[in-house]
Amino acid sequence: MNVDLKEQLKQHSGLAAIYDEALADIAAAAAEVELGAARVRHLGRKSRLSRLLRAIPEMPASERPLAGKLGNQVRAALEEELVVRWQALESAELEKRLEQERVDITLPGEPLAGGRMHLITQTLWEIEDIFTGLGYRIAEGPEVETDYYNFTALNTPEGHPARSLHDTFFIKGKEGVLLRTHTSPVQVRVMEKEDPPVYVIIPGRVYRRDSDATHTPMFHQVEGLAVDEHITMADLKGTLESFAKAMFGAERQVRLRPHFFPFTEPSVEVDVSCMICGGKGCRSCKHSGWLEILGAGLVDPNVFGFVNYNPDEISGFAFGMGVERIAMLKHGVTDLRMFYDNDLRFIKQF
Amino acid sequence: MKVPISWLKEYVDIDLPVEELAERLALTGTAVERISHVGLPAAGGNLDRFVVGRVVSIEPHPNADRLALCRVETGPETAQIVCGTRNFREGDRTAVCLPGGMLPDGRRLEAAEIRGVRSEGMMCSESELGLAAKSAGIMILPEDAPVGARLADYLPVSDEVLELEITPNRPDCLSVYGVAREVAAVTGARLKAAPVRDIKPRGDDNIEELVNISVSGPDLCPRYGARLIAGVRIGPSPAWLKARLIAAGLRPVNNVVDITNYVMWTLGEPMHAFDLAGIAGRQLTARSAVKGEEITTIDGVRRRLAPGMPVIADGEKPVAIAGIMGGRDSEVAAGSTDILLEAANFDGRSIMEASMALSLRSESSTRFEKGLDQELVLQALAMASRLITMIAGGRLVPGQYDIQAKPFEAGVIHLRPHRVAALLGAEVPAAEIRTILTKLGFKVKKEGAGLHAGVPSFRADVEREVDLVEEVARVFGLQLIPPSLPSGMRAMGGLSWEQACRRRLVQMLAGRGLNEVITYSFIGLDFADRLRLGESDIRRDAARLANPLSAEQSQMRTLMLPSLLMTVSANLAQRNFDVNIFEVGRVYYPVKGERLCDERETVAGCLCSFLQGQSWRGNTRGPDFFTGKGLVEALFKELAGSCSVRRTKEPFLHPGKAADIIVSGSRIGYVGEVHPLVLRAFDIDRPVVAFELFLGELIASSSEIAVFEDLINFPASFQDIAVVVDEDTPAAEIIAVVREAGAPLLHNVRVFDFFTGSQVGPGKKSIALNLEFRSPQRTLTDAEVDSARALIVRALDERLKASLRL
Ligand SMILES: [Zn+2]
Repeated sequence: MNVDLKEQLKQHSGLAAIYDEALADIAAAAAEVELGAARVRHLGRKSRLSRLLRAIPEMPASERPLAGKLGNQVRAALEEELVVRWQALESAELEKRLEQERVDITLPGEPLAGGRMHLITQTLWEIEDIFTGLGYRIAEGPEVETDYYNFTALNTPEGHPARSLHDTFFIKGKEGVLLRTHTSPVQVRVMEKEDPPVYVIIPGRVYRRDSDATHTPMFHQVEGLAVDEHITMADLKGTLESFAKAMFGAERQVRLRPHFFPFTEPSVEVDVSCMICGGKGCRSCKHSGWLEILGAGLVDPNVFGFVNYNPDEISGFAFGMGVERIAMLKHGVTDLRMFYDNDLRFIKQF
Repeated sequence: MKVPISWLKEYVDIDLPVEELAERLALTGTAVERISHVGLPAAGGNLDRFVVGRVVSIEPHPNADRLALCRVETGPETAQIVCGTRNFREGDRTAVCLPGGMLPDGRRLEAAEIRGVRSEGMMCSESELGLAAKSAGIMILPEDAPVGARLADYLPVSDEVLELEITPNRPDCLSVYGVAREVAAVTGARLKAAPVRDIKPRGDDNIEELVNISVSGPDLCPRYGARLIAGVRIGPSPAWLKARLIAAGLRPVNNVVDITNYVMWTLGEPMHAFDLAGIAGRQLTARSAVKGEEITTIDGVRRRLAPGMPVIADGEKPVAIAGIMGGRDSEVAAGSTDILLEAANFDGRSIMEASMALSLRSESSTRFEKGLDQELVLQALAMASRLITMIAGGRLVPGQYDIQAKPFEAGVIHLRPHRVAALLGAEVPAAEIRTILTKLGFKVKKEGAGLHAGVPSFRADVEREVDLVEEVARVFGLQLIPPSLPSGMRAMGGLSWEQACRRRLVQMLAGRGLNEVITYSFIGLDFADRLRLGESDIRRDAARLANPLSAEQSQMRTLMLPSLLMTVSANLAQRNFDVNIFEVGRVYYPVKGERLCDERETVAGCLCSFLQGQSWRGNTRGPDFFTGKGLVEALFKELAGSCSVRRTKEPFLHPGKAADIIVSGSRIGYVGEVHPLVLRAFDIDRPVVAFELFLGELIASSSEIAVFEDLINFPASFQDIAVVVDEDTPAAEIIAVVREAGAPLLHNVRVFDFFTGSQVGPGKKSIALNLEFRSPQRTLTDAEVDSARALIVRALDERLKASLRL
């Protein structure tokens, strides 16, 4: 409300009455329709204000300036008041409409397309990312292999007792051709092609002729190989410790136990402190506090001999892990075969 | 390898708790699978409840004819025991379980009234003590058993057993004495002498007069030793021997056979005992089998022998498969009196091959195939001779056979201490290196800055300096090596471009609603028929497995589709109806003249449900050919590559709703609806859209680096045209004409409407195109755009007889 105008209107009772009445009507309008009616009534051609303004030329000259000035001020003030009221009514009506449009926000959202990657792929990528972060490249190689790369060049000649540990699938009609039993043959292929330093990991499918609750005829391995000047057992230990902490948590410990593999010397098995019980001992770790996660060792000089590396100038370590085992330990999967049943209820969990 | 602790303690002075011993072994390279307990439970003083008793008197039970009432001296006291068997006499020593004692099967004995008479204990049978599977009466102990003593102090009736996993390079540890040597080395405990003290023969005959033994083929049999023991009495083994064998997981048979097994378990040398009476012509030869020979082994199985298999033959036929299993005809059994004892060294590889060919493995073959110490031959003969004459009586006939092609020569290895540090990354003091190697049986001599290590006969696995480094490392303790990272790392890590692209495609497909599966790379023989492949389709020619596990997994796949359809089918059977799946894997094509396959990395998928999940707001469209094609196009778009399509001839696809995918003129895969007959062959009851693309070619079609084009500063002009053409004119042809005519200002063409029917008349179709004109150098004028459009319209009319629809 215009206080100044109110004061001035004390000089003109007629306009004051028109103004007050119009203001009251505008304020009382409860909807846009009523506001429209108020506009017609108070500002329309037939309104008292319009009639008064039209009658000004007939007024005595002394009254004309005041009436004209105040009349126009009243009109302007009322127009403004109408706009203000209009906006107020409009937003109130919008609010009311929006209020009526409310939905049950607890209903599900639009189910956008989205699938999951297989847990093995997720685990493989996680392993790959850890080692690429440590400076390794990823090497790949054939799954249908020759016994030269799968065994012989890995210091496992024909008749070697370690060959009997592998249940190997052979290819019909091709002498000495088989499904690789580990991704280690790619080690040899990489070293044949490249000079040291070599830092690679080798993920991939491998095959063994074994199928029961704890074996599937196909599974996944990640092999690692580092060959350089002055590579030591201590480097192997530190590398695998970094891996175990990145994969299973910063508080994990690693321990090496001597073991035997034909293509490494010395050979070790690597345990990580049990992530389920924190090392205190539980069913999963057979109450030892340790879980075996991979096999490793320093590359046997005989393997270097097969690829014409000089074991007096360089040394290296290699390790190999089963991806399924890592995934099972990390995610608590209890049945290996579920990875290859490909039941979507399983796949969508991860 | 099961090693009972009480047996181990005969050869090494240890008093470590068994768990600590197991831990020490595990950390030095002998994996302990478990520690088990055999015989009587030891907890809670249970072993005090079992004593040696002496039967003082036997009287009939007043109320039961078949029961006896015995008074048994069990130390200072005498117990009254009611007994159901009568195989003993007054004065016999027996094993008595006092009230409160718990048997191996968990039964606890309490004092009880039996038919009105109090019984204060039980006299035990061998089976009740866990010393035999079955026994006829109670166990009678030898005269020397001290009455009142704990039974466990007299007989190994309760023991801890280490179950060890011995790696194939350490056959020396497939023996209790070998493990004792290892224990001594890794704990510092004192190793006692091996139990191989010999005995004197008796008599004035000689083995060479009584039996003629020869070796033909020293490759098969580097050393053959034999002795003769005459006049033995075959019978059951004494309780201590049975208890030991049972604890080690062996089955007692009779005294002589048990002793050969006992010697094998103690020293690691498999032995065989022949009944001399079963050997024709008093003549034995170690040779390889000849064609057509057969033998019935002691397990009663008739086996056909292949040439080259090592056998021991008498004057007529094979009497044993050497190193694997003996023959039934010369088996030592009740009534045998003269025993020919064999201890030999057979070639490991020959034994392994024969054992594999015969599918016959034994404790003997698993030892021989790893290559055994030749020096064990005479040690085993000495130990067995002593035990047999002691337990089964008889006399050792003078003389022995020891046929050896080449005597053992110890290898000597030079070890440079700096190599130890260089390989381990930790310093091991020279004195410690010497101590470790000496404890392990090496003959160590200082030599300049390093040392010479003489390799003992039982460690043929140690041949090189690095092998000595391993021996030092494992005993020194790997836990003492400080962790580090390779110091000279000059390499750069990361994924290759192809590997990164593969990851992007996997993520893209998962993001679009497909779930990744990983299926076996093998498929069944019938896949080609199920996919309706033609007789000459090269994909029928798959790499077959020589030794598959099953017909369903008998060859390497040449197409991904069958694996995926099987997965779809299996999921539908599980009522998982929301099946949209993909896999990145390989297909394997045999290559003529090559040993390896052409392995092609492939991305493939099957859609049979809404890609977008079903909503309470109603459904979107289910997948069809265009869904599949859209997905394939999205794969190319992800890598900024492009492809074209061609009608396909794949017999497993819908002939009208499927396409080959073409990149630079060659076919790299397909997309389309799967043929209904193929779906039926895989038990799938709903439409499936499939695609399969060679990943290498898909990635090769992509551009590695995107190059900037100014799409911002000079705005495009858009024009729509709708044309009517013959129904069989492909959209791709229309677009090609439009593109050619609109060049160079036409930047893009998009189909935004398509229909056939009454509006356009029979045999016709209408297609509406949105044309985007632009120049990277300037804003186009209306006149330029109009004239470009006019050229397009004219070309469509001239080349495709297309009329403009207004
Ligand atoms: Zn645990």
